[in-house]
Order: sequence, then C-alpha cells, then structure tokens
Amino acid sequence: MLRRDLLGASAAMMAMAAGPAAAQAPFELAVIGFQMSSETHARAANAAAAAARAKGWNVTLLNSEGSLPKHAEQFDALVQRKPGGIVVCMGKPTEADAQFAAAAKAGIPVITIMSGSSPHTLFDVVVNEYQVGAQAALWLLGRMNYRGALLTVRFEGNAATRIRGKVLDVVLSENQAVTVLGRHAMARTASWQEDVRAGMQALLLRNRGRYGGIWASFDGQAYVVDDLLQAQGAKKGEVSIISVDGGKETYRRIADPESTLMATVAIPFEEMGQRATAAMESIAVRKQPAASVTAGPYLLLEAELVDQSNVARYLTP
Amino acid sequence: MTALLSRFGTALAGFLVLLFFGAFAENFASPGNLSLILKDTAFLAVLAIGFTLALATAELDLSIADVASLAAVVTGALIQGGTMPALAVLAGLATGLGAGLVNGFAVTVLGVPSLIATLGTAAVARGFGFMITQGVAFVGRWPREFTGLARGSLLGVSNMIWWMAAIGLLAWVLLKRTRTGLHMLATGEADEAARLAGIRTRRMKRLGLALAGLLAGVTAVLLAASLSSAAPNMAGDHFLYAIAAVLLGMTMIEPGRPNIPGTLLAAFMLKALGNGLVLLGAPYYAQDIALGVIITGSVALSSTVMRRAAFTKRLNLRAAA
Repeated sequence: MLRRDLLGASAAMMAMAAGPAAAQAPFELAVIGFQMSSETHARAANAAAAAARAKGWNVTLLNSEGSLPKHAEQFDALVQRKPGGIVVCMGKPTEADAQFAAAAKAGIPVITIMSGSSPHTLFDVVVNEYQVGAQAALWLLGRMNYRGALLTVRFEGNAATRIRGKVLDVVLSENQAVTVLGRHAMARTASWQEDVRAGMQALLLRNRGRYGGIWASFDGQAYVVDDLLQAQGAKKGEVSIISVDGGKETYRRIADPESTLMATVAIPFEEMGQRATAAMESIAVRKQPAASVTAGPYLLLEAELVDQSNVARYLTP
Repeated sequence: MTALLSRFGTALAGFLVLLFFGAFAENFASPGNLSLILKDTAFLAVLAIGFTLALATAELDLSIADVASLAAVVTGALIQGGTMPALAVLAGLATGLGAGLVNGFAVTVLGVPSLIATLGTAAVARGFGFMITQGVAFVGRWPREFTGLARGSLLGVSNMIWWMAAIGLLAWVLLKRTRTGLHMLATGEADEAARLAGIRTRRMKRLGLALAGLLAGVTAVLLAASLSSAAPNMAGDHFLYAIAAVLLGMTMIEPGRPNIPGTLLAAFMLKALGNGLVLLGAPYYAQDIALGVIITGSVALSSTVMRRAAFTKRLNLRAAA
C-alpha cells in the first residue's frame, strides 16, 4: 500500500513536472485536509481525491497539519497554481477568510466539507451536527429508561464535538432524572488517547457500579473507554456506550460480543468526499449552476444511528 | 572555493532546488508568487530570529511557538472586545516579552536549564491559551488599523516583508555591530571565558531569552493581523520549522554559529520548498519526504565540505611544520 502510494506520488510529481507538454490537461482538483492525522479528515479527503482520480482528473492532495497559518499558505499557493477546483475538508473558511476570498476572486470554485459556510465558497457538504448530537443523546437516555447516572468524555476543542456536547446538555436539562456522575474533558494534545485513558480510568474506578451509560464525543474516545471496560471485565450491555463518527473499527466493535461499545451515529465521511467531487464535476466541468446541486449554502447529508439492530448492513464489504 | 562552499553550500543546494522549481513548477518564479513566499516567510523568520538570539547566548527557547500562540490569543481577545488596536498590540508584545523575562529569570536566577524552563513556560502558555479561548478561535472583521499591520503594503511591497527586513536588520546590527551583541556571542561561545573577561553573561542570557519572547509576541501580532483570527495553537507548527531554520542557517554564512542572515535564508528556503512542492502538485506525504531529504542533503553537503576544509587545513599546517 505504502509502496503503491509512494510510486503514485513519484509518478504524480513526474507527471506534474512534464505537465506543460501534455496536449490537453485533464481537470485538476486540489483537495485540502485540515489535519490528515485525524481519521475523519483523512476519510473525507481521501474519498474526494479517489473519486476525482477515478474520473481521470489530476489531484493535488494537501495536508494543513491542523495549522491555520499553513492552511492559509496552502490556499495562497493554490491560487497561484490555479487548479480547476478546490475541495476543503474540515477547513477554516472563517479564520482564513482572506485566502478563501482570493480563491473566489481568482475564479476557482471551492466546495467545503464540514467546514461551515462562507460567502467565498459554493457550499458546505455537511451533516446536521445538532441532529447528530440529539440522536446520540436520545439513544443513550432511551437505553437508560431516562433515569440513572452517566459518564461523559467531552472534547471542547473541535466545533462538531463541542456542539454534540452542548446538545447533550440541552437534552439532559429536560430529563432531570438522568445525572452526570463524572465528566472528562479531553485535552487537545497529540497524545489524546493517553489523556482519555488516564482521565476515564480514574472516573470508571471511582464510580464503579454507579453509572448506566457513557457518552463519548467521538469514536476514538469510545474505543479507549471500551478497552478500559473490557479490561475491568465488563460485559456488553451492562453499560450503554454511544459515540459519534462511524467507521470499520466502530462497526466491528458494535457487532463484537466482547466489546462494550453499543452504538454510534455514522457520519458519511466517504460519501461527503464523493459528493463534493461529483458536485465539482457538475459545476466546474459541466458548467451547471451551483443551485442545481443544492439551493442553500449547505449540502446536507443524513447521519444514521448504528447499533446492533442495523450494524450488519455496515459490516458488509 | 572550498571556503566559499563551506559558507554557502547549503544556500547553493537550496538555490539549485529553487531553479528546479522555477523550471518545472508553473508560476513559481512569477513576481506574485515570489512575493507570496517572502510574505509567508516573515512569520517563520521573525520567530526564528528570536530563537537565534537566544541560541547566540547558548540558551534554547522551546516556548517560542506556544508563547506566540498565547500572545495572539491575548491580542485577538482584546481586539474582539473592542480595545484600541494599539493597546491590543502592546498587550500581545508584552505577553511575549513577559514570557521571555520569566524564562530569563528561571534560567539565570533560579538556575533551571533553559531546555526545562522553556518547556515549562510552553506548557503554561498553552494552558492559558486554551483557558482564554475555551478552544474556540477569536474570529471577526477586525479593524483595518490592526489587520493593515500584516495585510497592508508600502511602495508595493507587503508590510510583512518590511517587518521581516526591519527586524532582520535590527537583529543583525545588534549581534554584529554593537558591544552588547558581541557580548551575547561571546557568552554563547565560551560562557566561563566571557565571564572572566568581565562580560555579564547572565544579563546577556536574560537579554537573549527576553528578545526571543518579544519576537514571539511580534510574530503573534502579525499572525493575528494577517488571519483576522487568533487560536490557542495557531503558531504551533512554526516551532519545528523555526528550529530547522536556525540550525539550517548555522550551516551557512557563518558555519557553526547562529547567525541572522543564515536564519533568514534558511527560513526562505523552507517556505519556498513548501510552496514549490504545492505548485508541482506533489501530494502532502511526498512533500514531507522531499522536505526532509532536501534539508538533510543540504546540510550534509555543507558539513562534508567543512570537514574536507578542516582536513586540508590540518594537512597544510603539518606540511608547514
């Protein structure tokens, strides 16, 4: 896989170097992932890039490494390169407003994924995070029969996970028979797994037997909690655990009788990338108006709650 | 020839890479793109100059990026709250300078090694940054008097480039043309000998670290003004690049010594490499690989030439003896 990637990268660089000689250059799409070390960013960006390659387009795949200045610099450089279109995954159109404006001024169509709307982009491919938060919160409270205590793992450093947490707070404020026994707010560090492990281990030990549910703001946190509970000998269903994101590993755990993870709200990251590329084809290649793809500043996709009742559908290759 | 190569080998290797980009990456050599590279270089260069000044006194400041992020957050919070831009800028600079002074105090008075002291300051700065923002960036349509610091231009040249040039020149003059600068370099090269010669070495170290903090504050203000936003980790990725720029800079102009022209050239090379690889359409992982190979290759070329020069010198000395 790595060798194929490296060969592909070398071939891409050589092809780019020989670019001017090409008779009719194929459409060029630049894809920026804000932080490719984050699985969800990478899934959306890789899917957009793969869909573009499948169309025979040239693809430039960039990683802003979670850095706002680098994000802005990459945009500046792309405006010089003038690709046919740009897809930005989990980008920062508000923070890098000037750079997005420059791309719009240069006539480069920009479609964002899970980034928020901007006057300089065509639209944002997104799921309704408030709805996602409500789905997760209501599933968990339903499993607990709307009473008892729960533990939460939060992450306030990301807009999506923060929204999910706030929606949980709203749902809890209307259901006072459910109390939050303990809460761990994850630090924004490269070693976040260790941070979650240490924080949740303490919470789980301190509150052993006193909680009926655990809410995690994204799947990665739920994996850590699941591993801790399994190590403590917990059985599936003893505690209801839900998180958000979806993905092969999550579905495997939901189906696995040894795992304590019960459910997730699956965000269709791959579909988001594919839809962004398809929309770019309609707008930038076939010259159809953006309104033919979506009327508003958002292209809303559905996020589905996945638990043991429907996980089999997600496990099929 | 060998002496020239040992001083400019890294720069030459960088120049060859730039020539390659000029030939194969469309628009790389256009005036607009070169100006863009210079503008992007400014943030890194100002931060790296601060690191150079601390290193000139043989002290490491590992807190520069986190202090810059905190200073940006302080500035952004004040601007967002409607404070006069001049006051917000002063607060940002004071944050950087304050952190530098704390580092200097910890190193020279408390005797904490700078590696540890500045790591501690970095962690504190990061914590305060998240405390002030709660993880949410300050963003808005900020006053032009503030954003103009970075986005404006003078005589058709971006203000960022002017800032970089001015700070680079001032730092060079300080190090090479003033008694204080010479004392800083003497402290860095032989602490004990400098002290015995009557140089107040602890004061020089405090100055180096304070200037590093101040320049982190300058970087912060320029970053916030350029992006109209301030986030608690916004300068984070400049950290390793700043160190790389200083170390790469030490392989040229004055090999083996932290020097301002070398730092500036290296910062430009690093930014030009990133820009050229984007223009070539290289995927991000290939960019990281290429960047690493080119940096190591450039330094290897320079150090090989230096080793050969030293060997030849020894031979000549023996022959003369």
